[in-house]
Amino acid sequence: MARLRLEITKGEEIRYISHLDYASAIERAIIRAKLPAAYSEGFNPHMKLSFASALAVGVTSQGEYMDIEFKEEVDLSQGVNRLVTTLPLGIMVKSAKYMPEKIPALMAIVNLATYDVLVPFRAGEFVAVGESIRRFNEAQQVLHTRETPKGRKEIEVKQYMAKPISVTQQDNQVLLAMDIKITPTGSIKPGEILAALVILFDLNVDKDKALINRTGLYVADNKTRVKPIEL
Amino acid sequence: MITLDPAILNRVIKPARYTGNEWNSVKKDHSTVSVTFALALPDVYEVGMSNLGLKILYQILNNRTDTAAERVYTPWVDMEAEMRAHNIPLYTLESLTPVAEFDIVGFSLQYEMSYSNVLNMLDLAGIPLLTAQRDENEPLIVGGGPCTFNAEPVADFFDCFILGEGEEIIEDMVEVVLAWKKAEKVDGKLGLLKKLAQIEGMYVPSLYDVTYNADGTMAQVVPNCTEASPVVTKRVVKDLNTVEYATRPVVPYLDIVHNRIMLELFRGCTRGCRFCQAGVLYRPVRERTPETLLRIANELVDSTGYSEMSLTSLSSADYSCLPEVVQLLINEFKEQSVSISLPSLRIDSFSIELAQKLQQVRKSGLTFAPEAGSQRLRDVINKGVTEQNLEDAVGAAFGAGWSTVKLYFMMGLPTETDEDVLGIAKLAYRVLDIYKQVTGRRGAKVTISVACFVPKPHTPFQWFGQDMAVEFERKQRLLKAELRDRNITFNWHDARTSFLEGAFARGDRRLGKVLLAAWSHGARFDGWSEHFKYNVWMEAFKGSEIDPHFYATRERTMNEVMPWDHLSSGATKEFLAKEYGQAIGEVLTSDCRRDQCNDCGVCPELDVKVIDWGNKA
Repeated sequence: MARLRLEITKGEEIRYISHLDYASAIERAIIRAKLPAAYSEGFNPHMKLSFASALAVGVTSQGEYMDIEFKEEVDLSQGVNRLVTTLPLGIMVKSAKYMPEKIPALMAIVNLATYDVLVPFRAGEFVAVGESIRRFNEAQQVLHTRETPKGRKEIEVKQYMAKPISVTQQDNQVLLAMDIKITPTGSIKPGEILAALVILFDLNVDKDKALINRTGLYVADNKTRVKPIEL
Repeated sequence: MITLDPAILNRVIKPARYTGNEWNSVKKDHSTVSVTFALALPDVYEVGMSNLGLKILYQILNNRTDTAAERVYTPWVDMEAEMRAHNIPLYTLESLTPVAEFDIVGFSLQYEMSYSNVLNMLDLAGIPLLTAQRDENEPLIVGGGPCTFNAEPVADFFDCFILGEGEEIIEDMVEVVLAWKKAEKVDGKLGLLKKLAQIEGMYVPSLYDVTYNADGTMAQVVPNCTEASPVVTKRVVKDLNTVEYATRPVVPYLDIVHNRIMLELFRGCTRGCRFCQAGVLYRPVRERTPETLLRIANELVDSTGYSEMSLTSLSSADYSCLPEVVQLLINEFKEQSVSISLPSLRIDSFSIELAQKLQQVRKSGLTFAPEAGSQRLRDVINKGVTEQNLEDAVGAAFGAGWSTVKLYFMMGLPTETDEDVLGIAKLAYRVLDIYKQVTGRRGAKVTISVACFVPKPHTPFQWFGQDMAVEFERKQRLLKAELRDRNITFNWHDARTSFLEGAFARGDRRLGKVLLAAWSHGARFDGWSEHFKYNVWMEAFKGSEIDPHFYATRERTMNEVMPWDHLSSGATKEFLAKEYGQAIGEVLTSDCRRDQCNDCGVCPELDVKVIDWGNKA
């Protein structure tokens, strides 16, 4: 057995696919590459893949992480080269590394996600945008109502903010950089933060047109941030 | 090229239906090809992407360096609203090119209830709906698939139809269009249509004149030019081993209806079930060799990465070398964890053994299609299955550990009595009893699905008057009252949908205006119960002064001219009439695949023969 960790992307070409579809696409690429993936036992065997964090429909990423279990170790660069030719447009391999077998799951260690949210604002109101963001950053508590098929739930947003949101202007758009904590009891999506900004802080942007990009996933503590592939 | 606003894609459900970029999709620079071909299926992405015929044509067309083939499906109602609100024309998934810019737009017509979607797609594309409104600068609109064997209800909207299998004729068609374009579209649209009409298997409806009798029945359909043949006969591939197959199909991101490798074992089925249109349209049986199948299967696993393979055919369990092929495939793909499945099972213990060997997932249960509830009625439809066969099959399934069984039936078959209908309930209870006998316990789950029988053209029942919707509903209530056991689930089809399907299945050209009226009043996705607007359709019939019962529920006389008499599957009307007589007489007809020829006329007419590798003689 061998555990291969990959740092991969979810590009513009596949922005609108779900996490489950993203995982299936990678699974099929692994079969096409004829890599010796390990399968679970049982009546309905499935490939042993695990991801750090699910990515929503409509969100791209520059740094996703996944572990694949192999039945045997294959030469790293050969294996990656094979996979690169069978991955669909929009999934690139940025780095790859064999990990020790007995390590905690990606899902259990990744605790920080960073995002860029690019969204158009109404002409001439960038000052107001900055003001909305400042008020959000200074607020002690922000209550946002999450609506799911199961019902409504009020969540406190600020507990998940790892640092204040930064804002820059790009022509008629604003770029919001958000660092969001992933905790054992939950997290919040950048789209939800944007919604809270619009509803509660009068952020005057066209939030339906927002392009969200995950810029990284990290294992972080008070002092350092490490990519899961650097462990 | 279209640009898609993220705001729209963020609002619609399953936006990946509209963004393409799937593995194996073929993107060509249109400036480097001579012919562009949009392959359309008038239903939502997940349905359209599951169609095997279009996968094959996509590969054949894209193998040509002079042709670019791209896909387009019906946008779901949410996306349609966005497209109309933002003036986004219908576009193809490969290059996001407006469909109106293509040379040819081909629609796969699988089901009559998708006709309103064809009109809707043309409209969304900005293409005039009627063939008479389109000149040589508009795309050529062609139809294919089983519905073309009675193309008349949609004849006003299509320039031409392909009858039969598309592998060869699609290239003939491209060659004609290519030559016509090179000759600077000589003689315009009519020039092209007359050239196309000379291709064997190509039907150009505007080159025929239709006249009617005083009683509304058809008088005749005759060509109005020398290029059109009085009868158009379907195309058929003689040997499936030498023809291109979809070995590099587009692999979707979304979970589609058939999200697995489709390995087509053979084409055709000559069991001769008298209600079955596919059984007539796809004659004769032609099997692929085990060697071909193994080669194709390997190419498919390598090119798709799917870990599931379905052995498809009209009746896969009838493949002559099935146990050998199944073993070959299991051995070949054991290492790669590719599972093999059969979509349908024959009603016998052989099929159960096979299912066991394939270790099909138990939770899904086994599905059988007795089609009718009594032996008498099964003989009428030539199902060739006895009570004993069914008891053996179900008993074997329960013995092997299954506890869930699905049974498919139809109601409204010719000669059906209430006793036959109640026979369905008896059979359901019999299955529960068998479970108790075999396992000593209660607890089997039986699902009974009962469709409303819709008589189809080119079948022995093409003369038969379909049951009225109220009669279907009465029979459904009758059966429901009998099925009170909580281990039995009863599903039935909407009788009004079947009524409309019945009218269009055997309709003529006069239905074109009904379709147009219904579409303009909002009919679309009629096959989806949540979108079916029965009243809109009835208003459209009324407004056009056309009685749908004339087409659906009227018993035809044997000498009546049918709207599809000039469209030939190769099987003769005499053969179909004889089979209808045999049905009424409850006389069985054997399968010509391994028994004597029944003179349906297909093999001599099309100069083809049955290819069955188990039938070496």
